[in-house]
Amino acid sequence: MRNAAKTTSRFLRRFWRGLREWCGDAAYESYLRSKDTPSGSGRPLTPAEFYVEQLNRRYSRPNRCC
Amino acid sequence: MKRVFVIVVWLGVALLGTGAFGKIAFDRGEPLNATWFVVAAVCCYLVAYRLYSAFVAAKVLALDDTRATPSERYDDGRDFVPTNKWVLFGHHFAAIAGPGPLVGPTLAAQFGYLPGTLWLIAGAAFAGCVQDFVILFCSIRRDGKSLGQMAREEVSERGGFIAQLAVLAIMTILLAVIGLVVVNALKSSPWATFTLAMTIPIALLLGLYLRFVRPGRVLEASVMGVALVLFVVVAGQWVADSPSWSCVFTLSGVALAFAIMGYGFAASALPVWLLLAPRDYLSAFIKAGAIFTLAAGILFVRPQVLMPPLTRFIDGTGPVFAGKIFPFCFITIACGAISGFHSLISSGTTPKMILRESHARFIGYGAMLLESFVGVMAMVAACAMPPGIYFAINSPPSIVGGAGDAAAATISGWGYPLQAQTMTELAHKVGELTLWNRAGGAPSLAVGMAQIFSSTIGGERLLSIWYHFAIMFEALFILTVLDAGTRVGRFMVQDLGGRVWKPFGRTGWMPGILMSSAIIVALWGYFLYQGVVDPLGGINSLWPLFGISNQLLAAVALVVATTILMKMGRLRWIWVTLLPMAWLVVITMTASYQKIFDANPRIGFLAYANALAAQIAAGKIPAEKIAETHRLIFNQRLDAAVTGVLAAMILVLIVEALAQWYSILSRRKEPVLHESPYVATRWAADFSGAAHGDD
Repeated sequence: MRNAAKTTSRFLRRFWRGLREWCGDAAYESYLRSKDTPSGSGRPLTPAEFYVEQLNRRYSRPNRCC
Repeated sequence: MKRVFVIVVWLGVALLGTGAFGKIAFDRGEPLNATWFVVAAVCCYLVAYRLYSAFVAAKVLALDDTRATPSERYDDGRDFVPTNKWVLFGHHFAAIAGPGPLVGPTLAAQFGYLPGTLWLIAGAAFAGCVQDFVILFCSIRRDGKSLGQMAREEVSERGGFIAQLAVLAIMTILLAVIGLVVVNALKSSPWATFTLAMTIPIALLLGLYLRFVRPGRVLEASVMGVALVLFVVVAGQWVADSPSWSCVFTLSGVALAFAIMGYGFAASALPVWLLLAPRDYLSAFIKAGAIFTLAAGILFVRPQVLMPPLTRFIDGTGPVFAGKIFPFCFITIACGAISGFHSLISSGTTPKMILRESHARFIGYGAMLLESFVGVMAMVAACAMPPGIYFAINSPPSIVGGAGDAAAATISGWGYPLQAQTMTELAHKVGELTLWNRAGGAPSLAVGMAQIFSSTIGGERLLSIWYHFAIMFEALFILTVLDAGTRVGRFMVQDLGGRVWKPFGRTGWMPGILMSSAIIVALWGYFLYQGVVDPLGGINSLWPLFGISNQLLAAVALVVATTILMKMGRLRWIWVTLLPMAWLVVITMTASYQKIFDANPRIGFLAYANALAAQIAAGKIPAEKIAETHRLIFNQRLDAAVTGVLAAMILVLIVEALAQWYSILSRRKEPVLHESPYVATRWAADFSGAAHGDD
């Protein structure tokens, strides 16, 4: 019983992480974790700066198909 | 023992698939249950994935998991992000799945269910999935380079330029044709127009929230947005029932076309975080939910497929679009079987996020199989309604003789019984003023989906809500493609214009932004307007043009893939990309030739232009319609010229590639492969992405 609860909880945790990654909710966390985090100015971008920068980059090339 | 068991299971899957396929191909008795379609498709996909994609991965591409992918070497948390394979599969699928696999099969259902279903499954397994998979692999090996860059490096400079032009051409025609699908879905429908219009303020609200209140908190914002969108779907009924409000939202085709152009311009020129991105978030969630619900609904309801396997319109006289099965079924199905546009995604974001080379099989090949399955579901939804209703919704008035009894008599005369009263009752049930002459695929798909959904939840009482939910779902993500495409088109125009006049190329310069947005909107807007005022319904001209340009881009991608395989010394397996490429060249060339030169005015652009000119010369056109007819003649000649240019581009590229292949095979030139050098991975074998706790 305890094992089943553990497996379910692990599955739900992974699903939640996957969902956040898929929709972009966890993008800033991934950015902070990446090896190139500090930007040219020597400090990491704030969440708002990162959000706008990421969107500008994403929507400047084909990212939605027919 | 285990091996024997596995073999027995796979033999069982293959036999089940063969049996289901046999049933849908040869059954000529009672209406067929849709479950057979699902079983046939799923079994074929499983076998194709297990055997063919494994063969391509092992023998043709020789995927190497010891090699570090771009996401490991350049990990910057922005473009290059090591991503779990299931998450990346979701990303990739959300990017490649657009309106094409829904609209294409719905239109192709005019030939009957069989040709479209066969091409959806076989085309995906042997062409579409292979293209996506191989291009993804090629891009991974080249640090995530785009198709255009790979064409330039591996084929020739001219090849790269052609790929760039092909992308701009396909973008222009794609945006026009999907705009037309939305116009035909919203025309004279206050409920649907209100619902879709309200998604704009909802998106603006989310945009402000995500920018200033909780930056980047996409999930919570999307949940709020989806709830608001579902509310406006219901609220649309109140608007439609209110005499004063319903007339505000009852718009003609031309008015809607200009509204869509205005929206495209705004989405391209405004900051991306304000309108475009939040709409995309909404669309992604609703798209995933609606596709999942449709699959569950088909399995739960198991509707009867009422369309015959083959209709009389295989002879090319179809009311939805003119042209015989070959080549027009393959051109019309488009993205559900193979889409050149996918090669832009496979050489765009995905290769920069992939963890291991072996994941390319699951993501590249697997996501396209799922897209093909969406196409099969759309085919089922379209074929589950009585054929008479299908043709009444999708035929333009000039073909069926308007609406009502005359049109019902025409359709019944084709052998698909229909009473005008049936259409009136159906329109009333779904909350529309009329369902006659709503070409474009979206309304008939929405009727099919609504019937499946309402059989699962709510019964006939909720039919109108489900219908408008389906219309909102289709229109929402069509507009997402339209606004994102307009913005990318704007960058392409700025890039080209910047070569002539430098300031124009600066992406942050407001006059440049406004001018380039206006140019790209004018380009696709012209074709959209032309489609809206076309007496043959617009879809008849524009959808084949879109299909040709999309398959042309697929041919470009497969030429690049074949050249790379040749340079890699995989001559023995070259047929894997060469055969689909040859097939695509044959269908695009045949379709292009017929669309330009066919003597039937409903097929050939020039024949239609000449027929109209002859009518003017014979004095058969009233004086007040002469200017309009001259415009129609010009449009037909323009369409012929565009088709000719598309065909010429692929011919030039093939000549370029043949010269390249000849020099490689005759050893006149040492093949130079522009792969990134091998770097061994430092990740453990079970590493599944940083965000998944594997640091």
